[in-house]
Amino acid sequence: MTPPPLLEIRGLSKRFGGLVAVDDVNFSLASGETLGLIGPNGAGKTTLINLISGSITPTTGDILFEGRSIKDLTAFKRARLGIGRTFQIMKPFPGLSVLDNVAIGALFGTSETAKALRTARDEADQWLELMDLSRYADRRADELGGPDRKRLELAKAMAMKPKLLLLDEVMAGLNHVEINEVIEAIKKVRNTGISVLVIEHVIKVIQRLSDRLLVLHHGQQIVEGKPGVVLADPRVIEAYLGRRRA
Amino acid sequence: MEQALVVSTMQLLSQILVNGVLLGGLYALMALGLALVWGVLNIVNLAHGALIMLGAYVGYYLFTLLNIDPFLALPLSMAVLFCVGYLLQRGILNLIARAAMFNTLLITFGIDVVLTQLAQIFFSADFRTINPSYAGSNFMVFGVTLPLVRVLAFVVALALTIALWLFLLHTRLGRAIRATAQNLGAARLYGVEPKAIYALTFGLGAALAGGAGDLYGVVSQINPYIGATLTAKSFAIAIIGGLESPLGVVVGGIFLGVVESLTALYIGPTFVDIASFGILVLVLIFRPNGLLGATT
Amino acid sequence: MTLRFKFILGVAAALMLATLPWFASPTLIQFGISTLLLATLAQGWNIIGGFTGYASFGNSEFFGLGSYGTAIAMVQWQLPFGVGLIFGVLLSVIFALVVGIPVLRLRGHYFAIATLALSQVMTAIVSNLEVAGRNTGLVLPLLNGDTLFYELSLAVLLLATLTVLWISNSRFGFGLIAIRENEDAAASMGVNTTLYKVLAFALAGVFSALAGGIHAYWITFIDPVSAFDLSLNVKMIIMTVFGGPGSVLGPVIGAFVLSGISETLSTEISSLANLFFGVVIVAAVVFMPRGLADLMRRFRKTGWRYFSENVKQHRL
Ligand SMILES: Nc1ncnc2c1ncn2[C@@H]1O[C@H](COP(=O)(O)OP(=O)(O)OP(=O)(O)O)[C@@H](O)[C@H]1O
Ligand SMILES: [Mg+2]
Repeated sequence: MTPPPLLEIRGLSKRFGGLVAVDDVNFSLASGETLGLIGPNGAGKTTLINLISGSITPTTGDILFEGRSIKDLTAFKRARLGIGRTFQIMKPFPGLSVLDNVAIGALFGTSETAKALRTARDEADQWLELMDLSRYADRRADELGGPDRKRLELAKAMAMKPKLLLLDEVMAGLNHVEINEVIEAIKKVRNTGISVLVIEHVIKVIQRLSDRLLVLHHGQQIVEGKPGVVLADPRVIEAYLGRRRA
Repeated sequence: MEQALVVSTMQLLSQILVNGVLLGGLYALMALGLALVWGVLNIVNLAHGALIMLGAYVGYYLFTLLNIDPFLALPLSMAVLFCVGYLLQRGILNLIARAAMFNTLLITFGIDVVLTQLAQIFFSADFRTINPSYAGSNFMVFGVTLPLVRVLAFVVALALTIALWLFLLHTRLGRAIRATAQNLGAARLYGVEPKAIYALTFGLGAALAGGAGDLYGVVSQINPYIGATLTAKSFAIAIIGGLESPLGVVVGGIFLGVVESLTALYIGPTFVDIASFGILVLVLIFRPNGLLGATT
Repeated sequence: MTLRFKFILGVAAALMLATLPWFASPTLIQFGISTLLLATLAQGWNIIGGFTGYASFGNSEFFGLGSYGTAIAMVQWQLPFGVGLIFGVLLSVIFALVVGIPVLRLRGHYFAIATLALSQVMTAIVSNLEVAGRNTGLVLPLLNGDTLFYELSLAVLLLATLTVLWISNSRFGFGLIAIRENEDAAASMGVNTTLYKVLAFALAGVFSALAGGIHAYWITFIDPVSAFDLSLNVKMIIMTVFGGPGSVLGPVIGAFVLSGISETLSTEISSLANLFFGVVIVAAVVFMPRGLADLMRRFRKTGWRYFSENVKQHRL
């Protein structure tokens, strides 16, 4: 018997008034796999991540994590089960030090509920190191510049030691060099065996990272498969690239 | 006998409803300025009631010292309060325009305290009323008594509300104000500095409070301490009606006026606050966008 | 300052305060009692407002429930003061749980307004309750013992301050701060936001109710308007914000400083004292929005520029 996939999405839909932002989406994600999620602006990518992380509740459909339905669990419970996320519109804790921002992930994001503050800060230190943020450890988070904030967002999620990492455009606004650094960092985490669902507009990036691609358009999944195949699909070129070119 | 009783209960009920509606018109005008400032500047102005109180005193002194009829004094009261509001925004509130929500609450509370204390020092704590010669006149329609000043106050309040609505919809400045409510920078598209919009809007909100105060002084007693309750009521109305349009505020005002009148009669005058603020809390919890607003 | 030095300093300050009744005048002791109670209230507000970031106007409800719980138990049921105090705290905690769960879902202005409206509702409800003496209120048995009240108030303040000290170094406190800084992010990082907010609200309620119960017995008379007085809630906020919200000693220092100044002024003219309060609020919010604690930390580096920088940062 094969173990259930880490994440399984079944007939998931989300309606905002008259708008169906996510429309009957089905896919699954195996342990250690990286799935790239692409689609034009407003396709419903962020909404999908919000549904998985528990920020919003689905209209219909189900979400299974390690074979269990998590549809009715609150966001914090899903976080403790092992789902970590970043926000497209970054949400740092602005008045806290960079170190403590990450320490909160280490303190609350795991099933260990009795972790000492000091242990959490030690762990946070290591994540800062990995994300190349150590020199800012004592700065207030709102004093960081754009690219560093992105890295902080990533470090916060990673400190939760998630089994599934949901990344919402963590590389938008970064330059070439910075993108490469972040990709290396993501690969490092991924090598520890976790699954990643990554949203990115930069095709080169998503190609380098993903084992598989899923394309959303007007909330519907139009194509799913190997990156090379998906990107060559005429429907994708029309929906996604066509509109971007326009 | 039986029939007479039914008729008189019906009559009582319609009298109560009419009283409530008349009161509600004034309530709506009170809440209008608060809602406007809230929507555009994102400030819940806890000094709003104090501004209403000041407007009432302006009307009172114009009447007692210069013998100006309170309904004619209305524009003057509004003008004075416009200046007060404009200066308050320019001088103080603008300094914290980008501070946390909580600080804006606190500072407007501080302004409320200062205005109330100053009023007490200069105007004394005695109760006053604006008492024109026609204050006691009534007329009857279908067996319902209509106090003249209340009807006048209702009509003026409604007219001002509609005027504001038209102003917001159909003038360039009005559109700039509405645009600023969505996005601070948007005022620039209309060739107006956002800073100027803030001061003008706050001035306008204060002017509406001034007008409401002048009318309030005609239909009710005033003293320096009426502000707190009026602020709370204005809140309640703005929340119940929603912040989207002046129409919502009118509905909210009349709703509250009617509920208060009914509660006072059928349950007891001491239960008026339980009813009005209880409804406010319930609306906040179950329909945070107002009774008329969209549900999410 | 090392940790040890801070500890010694704290113990010394507490001991000094504790011995005050033996050499101070009766008026000073009375001033001391009301200041200590205000500081306790401020410290309670600090938990929900300063740490958790929820601008509560409902803490005077806890104070009122503490007062009424104590008074009802003592007057109507002839129970001893200690039992009354516990009853008041219990009422307060129940209120925090029942009301807190729906109301703490609201954010920003909406939460502030809901709690504000609730305090009007509470005043009105109590005015209609027979057991609470309706509009006239209740008269408690007289106890001549200001020293006792003073020491009791000091003990409660110490308890509140130690609790806040614990909070500021605990996982719980970190969770509260995370909620204050960004509630959505906190939830998605595993903070049980609902539970934490309600706990913080209830904890604030415990200390406010204790202060309310002691105050009722001390003053020997309560009525609905003074027990649920909204301006008391505003005082807690001002003292906390003036001293430094989210710090351990800020609310206490804020309460001491502002009560001191206000007391001095009110011996001259009482309406000036209120005017002063208003002006302090406005000035403090404009020039030192992060409170004395932040001012003292940063003033050495920035000097007088501290104030102009605050203005520059927040004005349009
Ligand atoms: N809370 C909400 N209420 C109403 N509509 C919403 C809400 N959140 C998202 N939408 C709408 O749902 C649609 C999908 O939005 P979503 O943010 O998921 O797109 P996206 O694929 O992440 O786009 P982008 O690439 O720009 O980030 C959009 O039309 C958006 O306006
Ligand atoms: Mg998105």
